[in-house]
Amino acid sequence: MPDLPEKKVGLIACSGEDLPVGTVSRLATLQVLERLRPLDTVTLCLPLFLAGEERERAFARFYPTIAIDGCSKRCAARATEKYSAQPAASLVIDDLIAEKSLPEPRGLRQLDDAGQAVVQAVAQELAREVDRLLGKKRTASGQVEIQAPSSEGEPAGIVVATCSCGSGIPVTHLQVSGHHVEALALPAILDQFRKIGKPANEATASELMEAVKLYNQVPDHEEAGWREAVLREYTRYVASGKPADTAN
Amino acid sequence: MSEPKAPDSDRVLIIPCSGIGKAFGSVGREAAYLVVEELRPDDTATVCLSLLTMGDEESQQRVREQPSIAIDGCPKACARVNIEHAGAAPAAIFRVFDVFRAHKELRVQQVSDIGENGREMARILAEEVAARVDELRDRKE
Repeated sequence: MPDLPEKKVGLIACSGEDLPVGTVSRLATLQVLERLRPLDTVTLCLPLFLAGEERERAFARFYPTIAIDGCSKRCAARATEKYSAQPAASLVIDDLIAEKSLPEPRGLRQLDDAGQAVVQAVAQELAREVDRLLGKKRTASGQVEIQAPSSEGEPAGIVVATCSCGSGIPVTHLQVSGHHVEALALPAILDQFRKIGKPANEATASELMEAVKLYNQVPDHEEAGWREAVLREYTRYVASGKPADTAN
Repeated sequence: MSEPKAPDSDRVLIIPCSGIGKAFGSVGREAAYLVVEELRPDDTATVCLSLLTMGDEESQQRVREQPSIAIDGCPKACARVNIEHAGAAPAAIFRVFDVFRAHKELRVQQVSDIGENGREMARILAEEVAARVDELRDRKE
């Protein structure tokens, strides 16, 4: 498999500065990123969907993403869908408060005790959703009982959350059957194939497509076009000896 | 007798970046709250940056009609860019990195807990922002 960012769950919090539930969304998300599921999660600042580049907007197409919203305006869910892709899951804190009869949080800079309790509840709910999306089952003590084969053990101590901005999901533009598509991770795939000396031919095209489909949704009716475009790109890449073209 | 409160429509909007994955983002957010809640509570307000990103009409109208100050935690400058995208120009732009450059002893490591150094950095930044708020208010009066 190409050397790419690991398949993790993306967390996009609204972080709403003007509402206590916005602070809850931020703190609960940080708790999952830093303490509860540090190896399984990544994040991106929501406003980067607009202020960032294509690699930022590829976020939810690459990572199954949970949108964490404070209020019913659902900025995180709507921004993710508008700029990147449909979130894999969505959580609205006001709804969770109502469903679980939790206390109403107060405070923006400093949440009150009720707000801290809601942060814990939201973080636990998020961690469960992360496990569900990754197909992990945990014991009562929190140890992983069943997990995907590539998953690692949990780290000791606290991990510092980091933003995925600029960290790079490489995007390549392809012409497929006369229209423009974005192919995630293609440069890394091409590079890996060239390094192991794969020739640019039809047999390699099948293998390339297997790798491409790990990171991209290729509709059945477009598969032949993708295959042709990917092989064309690989042929050019092998001949040039240069790095693959990306959008960045 | 205390100064009268500015009407909501007349307040300076303090808009920090969301900065969830960077410690400087948390410092910027802390500085914004210091200004809005402690230093200039009667003259300032904030809006959710995510609402601006989503093109919320009411929020966009506020930044177009009221002076705004952007506080950014990283070079992506989400606060500034999103204000500009709403059709407004920030009256001032502050970068957390500039405070760090002037106070390199204040190292901040963690996003969720910026610690004493982070709070100190936020305090310094907040005072600079508050001074800018005063200038904007004086100019208006």
